[in-house]
Amino acid sequence: MKLSDLREKQRAKVIKIDGSLKSLKKRLADMGFVKNQEIEIKRIAPLGDPIEISVKGYSLSLRKKEAEKIEVEKI
Amino acid sequence: MNIAFAGNPNVGKTALINAIAGSKLKVGNWPGVTVEKKEAEFKYKGEKIQLVDLPGTYSLSPYTVEERITRDFIINEDPDCVINVIDSTNLERNLYLTLLLMEMEKPIVIALNIFDEFEKSGYKIDLDKFKKYLGIDVIPTVATKNKGLNELMDKAIEVAKSKKHYKEMKYSLLFDRFIENEINKLIEKLKKEKLPNKYPLRWLAIKLIEKDEYIIQILKKETEKDISSLAKEHIMVIEERFNDDTETILTEARYGIINGILKDTLKKPKNYNIPFTEKVDKIVTNKYLGLPIFLALMYIVFKLTFDGSGPFIDWVDGFINGYIGKYVSLALTGAPNWLNSLVINGIIGGVGLVLTFVPLMLFIYFFLALLEESGYMSRAAFVLDKIMHSIGLNGKSFIPMILGFGCNVPAIYATRALENEKDRKLTAVLVPFMSCGARLPIYALFTGVFFVKYQAYVVLLMYILGIAVAIVVGLLLKNTKPFETAKSPLLLELPPYRVPSAKMLFGSMWIRTKAFLRKAGSIILMAMIILWAAINLPYGSTPNNSYLAKAAKVVAPVFTPAGFNKWQAVASVLPGIIAKESVVGALGQTLGVEKKSEKKKTSFIQDTRKQIMGLIKATIDSFRNMFISFTPGIFKIESISNSTFSQKIRTVFTPLSAFSYMVFMLLFIPCIVTLAAIKQEFGWGLMFFEIGLLTIIPYIVSVIVYQGGRLLGFH
Ligand SMILES: Nc1nc2c(ncn2[C@@H]2O[C@H](COP(=O)(O)OP(=O)(O)OP(=O)(O)O)[C@@H](O)[C@H]2O)c(=O)[nH]1
Repeated sequence: MKLSDLREKQRAKVIKIDGSLKSLKKRLADMGFVKNQEIEIKRIAPLGDPIEISVKGYSLSLRKKEAEKIEVEKI
Repeated sequence: MNIAFAGNPNVGKTALINAIAGSKLKVGNWPGVTVEKKEAEFKYKGEKIQLVDLPGTYSLSPYTVEERITRDFIINEDPDCVINVIDSTNLERNLYLTLLLMEMEKPIVIALNIFDEFEKSGYKIDLDKFKKYLGIDVIPTVATKNKGLNELMDKAIEVAKSKKHYKEMKYSLLFDRFIENEINKLIEKLKKEKLPNKYPLRWLAIKLIEKDEYIIQILKKETEKDISSLAKEHIMVIEERFNDDTETILTEARYGIINGILKDTLKKPKNYNIPFTEKVDKIVTNKYLGLPIFLALMYIVFKLTFDGSGPFIDWVDGFINGYIGKYVSLALTGAPNWLNSLVINGIIGGVGLVLTFVPLMLFIYFFLALLEESGYMSRAAFVLDKIMHSIGLNGKSFIPMILGFGCNVPAIYATRALENEKDRKLTAVLVPFMSCGARLPIYALFTGVFFVKYQAYVVLLMYILGIAVAIVVGLLLKNTKPFETAKSPLLLELPPYRVPSAKMLFGSMWIRTKAFLRKAGSIILMAMIILWAAINLPYGSTPNNSYLAKAAKVVAPVFTPAGFNKWQAVASVLPGIIAKESVVGALGQTLGVEKKSEKKKTSFIQDTRKQIMGLIKATIDSFRNMFISFTPGIFKIESISNSTFSQKIRTVFTPLSAFSYMVFMLLFIPCIVTLAAIKQEFGWGLMFFEIGLLTIIPYIVSVIVYQGGRLLGFH
């Protein structure tokens, strides 16, 4: 499933990032979205977008459009 | 000795540099881009230090301006030592940049910052082992409490002097043997190529394997060779073996190395979370409370900024134009009249104009630093991103936009809170459409004459129209090449809330205001002299036969479709560029309404005492405005009740043409100070673009308003 499909407080593991946008893939990987990385959706913004994700011990906010590019597996 | 500071955003780099360099810091921009650059030159224990703050980055990829600046600086300027500031409470992500910096083979020292929180939350680190793994020195620091600063500087100087370049990577930092093997093969090939020796070969090999377009292009330019082909077979071998692309493989490998080191050196507290930040975020980004809280905070910031600085602004204005002006004018008795006027109205007027902005700058920079350093700014962006993104902006653009209603000038500087250069530019381009306080006197004049009954509604309509035009322009520009904001992704860290230190808030307020005086001041002064000439020459002319009036008479017919083709209306547009409120005075002059100015004779001592009392009163008023009254004073409409003036206005304008003129004034170039701010932050290119935009758009819109109004039967 995609990261954008997760609901608040759900945890998941990164499977892979869609590489169609090379720069985005690299930047996400740099910021900690690497294979098998555990993440958690902390909250969704009041207007439904963006979302806040806990990764590698810090909080990062992404738009749904970008979160769609990250494939995850629920845990 | 050249020392560069590098690190992730929000790790306390600014706090550390402020603590080390203090008042010696200067802010400017990196050449050609709008990324803030801080530098300082000072002596430390007899050693001359040149300190440079590199932009906060998470990585050194070629995909963002900040990362390219950092990379280019380290390669080209060859600093004697790089101080890598890291947030000790988030080692895993921070060390990623450390590894990338180490690959560049420069002398490095790590500042293990925010060490107080690290210890308080129960982390433990085996420092000796940690240093051994990395092979570099690590100094724990607490920037906000000045802890570890001397050790850090001592170590940096020691390392710089020993020229300890980390050519031999520690075994613990090497990639998987298979990858290292390919890297080494590529290094051998590169050795034969005679490349500029500023590039460490291992670094270059890694970049080529990572298919780093940026370095390939630079090398092509520098050596006229395309060496990317050398890496092809190695890339293939690695990608086949690990079944992914090389960038990802190496990124994962680095995180693997970091995990290995931390597993052996770091003890995390059981169930560590940041309870305070969690609690605050639950409220501040709450589904229902998030927006109201943001708006309430903005209201407070807005009110404190404009109402707090207002009395000081008036005082500075009186001090320069009344007091200093009077005595300079006295000193010039005997000099020709035109010289007196040039000095008083042109030069002193210009200096006065710049200085009147100082109180405003101090206030706004203080509150901006407070919002940023505390961590709230990122939350504001998080809450508002959806709205702003729809017109091609970023959540953080909202704050400059709101400030724009008070004054466009601080709003332009407030765009510094935006990370992405294109977002910054587009925000700055749209800010002038926010109707600032100085435009109110114009609305007050015309609504007072033509729309007395609906005064408040017409003024409100102006604000709404400004926002509407900004939205349309934003939608049009967001997909154009220079802005292209629609495409840039949001990768926004929400750092833990931290209490900013007062020293830092005042420091940042002061150095940025100094930069405004230095950079914007000269441009404003120049423009003031040119405008003085346009308005006053030939000297001795009356307002209706000056060059300006003559030019206005020629140009006026152009404005026939917009409804105001009388030369007085057109001539008053230009003084509006000095400051919007000047339009009212200029109309008075061109329409021949005399201002009664009475001059009482006062002595120097009386005047001086009056200025001092004025300053004290301003301070008291400032406090009263900020904390006792409720409605922001900047929105008070002061009607101009002068019956001959309003009669004269009626001879030149009809209700519809007055409305059209107000629309024109709303959208036209706000003032030279705003333009100077745009020049200082973004360069001449964007400034001229803005001048063009803010001339064409007001014309088009006021023509539409006038012609549309006529079709609807207004006149
Ligand atoms: N407790 C603690 N707080 C710190 C320390 N150093 C900095 N801070 C706080 O951390 C926050 C962020 O610090 P900055 O200096 O703005 O961080 P920065 O790395 O310059 O961040 P950018 O300006 O975004 O690049 C501020 O509120 C500081 O007061 C420290 O050693 N301990």
